[in-house]
Amino acid sequence: MENRFGVKDLVVFILIGIVITMVGLCMAQYDRQWELIRQANDKIDRQTADLARIQNLLARGVIAGPTSQPAAVSDAQSAGFERILKAESYPDYSTGDAVYDTFMAAPAKLTPLVSQEYTASQVQSFVLDTLMKRDPDTLKWVPSVAKSFTVSDDQLTIDFELRKGVVFADGSPLTADDVVFTMDFERNDSIEAIRARAYLDKLARVEKTGDYHVRFVFKEPYFMSFTIAAGTEILSRKFYSQFSPKEFNESTGLLFGSGPYRLSDPKNWHPMPGAPIELVRNERYWGVPPAIDRVVWKVIPNPSARVTAFRNGEIDSYDPTPEQYNGLCADNALVARTHHFAIEVPNAPYRYIAWNEKNNGEPTRFADKRVRQAMTMLLDRQTIVSDIVRGYGSVNTSCFSALTPQADPSIEPWPFDVARAQQMLTDAGYHLENGSLIGPDGKPFEFELNYNSSNSVLKQVAAYIKDSLGRAGINVNVKPGELSVLIDKMKARKFEVYLGGWSGVLESDPHQIFCTDAIAKTGDNFVSYSNPELDKLVDQARSTVKDELRNQIWHKVHRIIHEDQPYTFLYIEKSLNFVDGRFKNVMAVKTGVNPLQEWFVPLTDQKYK
Amino acid sequence: MLNYVIRRILLMFPTLLGITALVFFVMAYSPGGIGGQALEADAGSDSAVAAKIREYYEKRYGIHKPKIVQFGRWLNQISPLGLEIKDDGSLGHFGFKAPSLGDSMEQNRPVMHLIRERLPLTLLLNLVSIPIVYILGVATGIQAAKKRGGMFDTVSNATQLAMWSVPTIWAGVMLIGLLASRQYLKLFPTSGLYEVEAAHMAFLPHMVNHVLVRGYLLDVIWHLILPVICLSYGSSAFLTKLTRGSMLENLGADYTRTARAKGLPENVILYRHVLRNSTLALITVAAGILPSMLGGSIVVEWIFGIPGMGQLGVHAVQFRDREVVLAVTLIGGFVSLASQVLRDILYALADPRVSYE
Repeated sequence: MENRFGVKDLVVFILIGIVITMVGLCMAQYDRQWELIRQANDKIDRQTADLARIQNLLARGVIAGPTSQPAAVSDAQSAGFERILKAESYPDYSTGDAVYDTFMAAPAKLTPLVSQEYTASQVQSFVLDTLMKRDPDTLKWVPSVAKSFTVSDDQLTIDFELRKGVVFADGSPLTADDVVFTMDFERNDSIEAIRARAYLDKLARVEKTGDYHVRFVFKEPYFMSFTIAAGTEILSRKFYSQFSPKEFNESTGLLFGSGPYRLSDPKNWHPMPGAPIELVRNERYWGVPPAIDRVVWKVIPNPSARVTAFRNGEIDSYDPTPEQYNGLCADNALVARTHHFAIEVPNAPYRYIAWNEKNNGEPTRFADKRVRQAMTMLLDRQTIVSDIVRGYGSVNTSCFSALTPQADPSIEPWPFDVARAQQMLTDAGYHLENGSLIGPDGKPFEFELNYNSSNSVLKQVAAYIKDSLGRAGINVNVKPGELSVLIDKMKARKFEVYLGGWSGVLESDPHQIFCTDAIAKTGDNFVSYSNPELDKLVDQARSTVKDELRNQIWHKVHRIIHEDQPYTFLYIEKSLNFVDGRFKNVMAVKTGVNPLQEWFVPLTDQKYK
Repeated sequence: MLNYVIRRILLMFPTLLGITALVFFVMAYSPGGIGGQALEADAGSDSAVAAKIREYYEKRYGIHKPKIVQFGRWLNQISPLGLEIKDDGSLGHFGFKAPSLGDSMEQNRPVMHLIRERLPLTLLLNLVSIPIVYILGVATGIQAAKKRGGMFDTVSNATQLAMWSVPTIWAGVMLIGLLASRQYLKLFPTSGLYEVEAAHMAFLPHMVNHVLVRGYLLDVIWHLILPVICLSYGSSAFLTKLTRGSMLENLGADYTRTARAKGLPENVILYRHVLRNSTLALITVAAGILPSMLGGSIVVEWIFGIPGMGQLGVHAVQFRDREVVLAVTLIGGFVSLASQVLRDILYALADPRVSYE
């Protein structure tokens, strides 16, 4: 038959066999080369580490030769590095190992200024240094690249003196030139540093006043001016001036700085979907080096996969929801091998109910302050915290966190007091009729409560509000919606009540959400709340650079917001964290868990090479 | 035949135009509008800052222009023949130019780069799972049809029905919970396509200091097992049913009876005559598989943290990222239409009776 296996077929089979064998051999040969490269890399790594240790010892003045420069770390011991130095003194202190963390979504690019995601800024914070940094425990500004600063009397000029001996990851020194370069670079219109540049509007110029001295001059006194100047991440002139603006804008991984960690190959880094992001320790770091060798972020979008990965020990740190936190805490074996924290932090997001005072241009029932105050007193916010957020939160009194000096500590939250609330409503002309509350206009009191439908916690809070106000005769129509639909409604100022949240910052600026000029369509004062006294005080605070003076004004602002209740402030969330137990020197500080630069793993517990 | 193919290809252009226009205008008129989330990212911040950011987006992406103008600009941008676009966004001379898919508003990167990064992942997942789906589906289908009503047929029928009914999202979470968790069996990784160590491994499995290192190849295979199971079980159940059904139909046909009557061996009847005639149904299904191969599986990608084309598309829609949404629509639309043409050609090849003249 014609299908018989012939000589021709035999030859074809032999040829295919030869090709397959050759491919296999090539791969084996390639792997041998790989092995040699790996060995060479190991050797270089060891030598770099040894060198770094020697440099560090020299810098700390143990063996100071006649030619060695006075280095940065010698004064580091007194400022900014206390907790790392304390960790170094523990008997089981050791360097090595890696930390595995997670991102829900990978950042699109790591290049500073042009990246937009929060995740990218998290990675950047390990690689780039700022002039000063906030101590995570005291929230005060402490020296980083700059060792001191002075603010002029007119509050327009801030002078910084830089430390000597600060170097970038390539060993080149960080000087005033780099600071000036960074600010010019950010303000260069051809660089797409859109968000960073928007904040620099009030900055007039930055000048070099010496090799290690820089001066920031502002156009007008502005309360954020110190944060802008001290908090700017410094870029290397030598590294970044190699690229044209177009190359920089289009780049994905040009992340290079003087921080404790570095990207191993910034010029060739590009996002590889599915691959973790890895930083390695900067062996040339000028400060006290961190103990952990590598920081790795895995991308795990699915929450149940994240919990499983943490249980498995595939990731070392995990921020659970209140529900997951309780679940994990119930697992004794897991609790025994992890650290866990529920910390009240000053920059946590807070939840509120926004009472719209002008719906579609018409004043609403909430235009009356007494009605807003009564609404707050009809809600038992402590029960919301204990039952819905499972105790992982606290009732707040304004947009200022009680943990920051911005808040007036003497202000107590409005109590849960139904009788007083009812009295206030009666004073405002409301009365009960057949169990429902009738307004001065003779119509029953009812409103629509909008919230983001994708948030399951808000759903429970909304049900609780409906129930509580229902008891007082108010009919609440709960109306969940997609966020973009809700935003459209609020922009058009066509809604009644909105249940939502704002993210928290260390110093909150109430201008955009409560001042009269933010009622116009671009502002976020979507409740149309207006109080001329508040406007004046906020403007005054915003143009005060000195912290103590400004905080005194913020206290007055706080009292007005508390009194006027444009929002009913519900609660501020706690920060919940789990960290693998092999890490030592992990502790709670004011802003959450202390930074991982301060952690270490004893040699016997180390998991990764 | 050639006439028909050319006609179909020419028809693709107006169809694609219609698809992209529909997607664009639905997106533009939906709440939030184009780039809605980019503009909302700064809610609560200083109004001067928010205004600056808005101004930037307007200048860079022209989102303040009338919607029809925006769509027109996009059409011009993807066309090889049209008005030249200068660096500052203004239009130049008419002529030939390099077509471009534009830049993503959210990621501030060329859309082409995003697709180039993500398409290989989606292709890898699908190229592994599609052969499994077909081999498993067709083989089980033939076996079930061969011994209709037998033990194998009954059992496979029940299991296929169960497999077809179980939603992927549930199966994926269960697989992770049971097969990738230390609480039960820790056999597989929870997510991703490879470990960070894999980058430092050689390609093949090998020994380092008497410890087996799995190597890059095994690491990737190990990571692919759960996602591939999730991707394939449902479709393979569907294909089994389909193959079994059309095999049974052909087994009862007159020509099969004739073949049996003239004494052909059973295997020849089954594989040479019946199976060949049953492939028409499989071809119809295959035409639907190609576009979904490029589209990616949103659910599987999300559960296992594999950022392929599915995630890119969904995320872009949430963000109202004009350029990415339109690019994904354009590619998806093109592949769907192309695979329909391909299907028609394959019909003609598989069945000589089919003619388009």
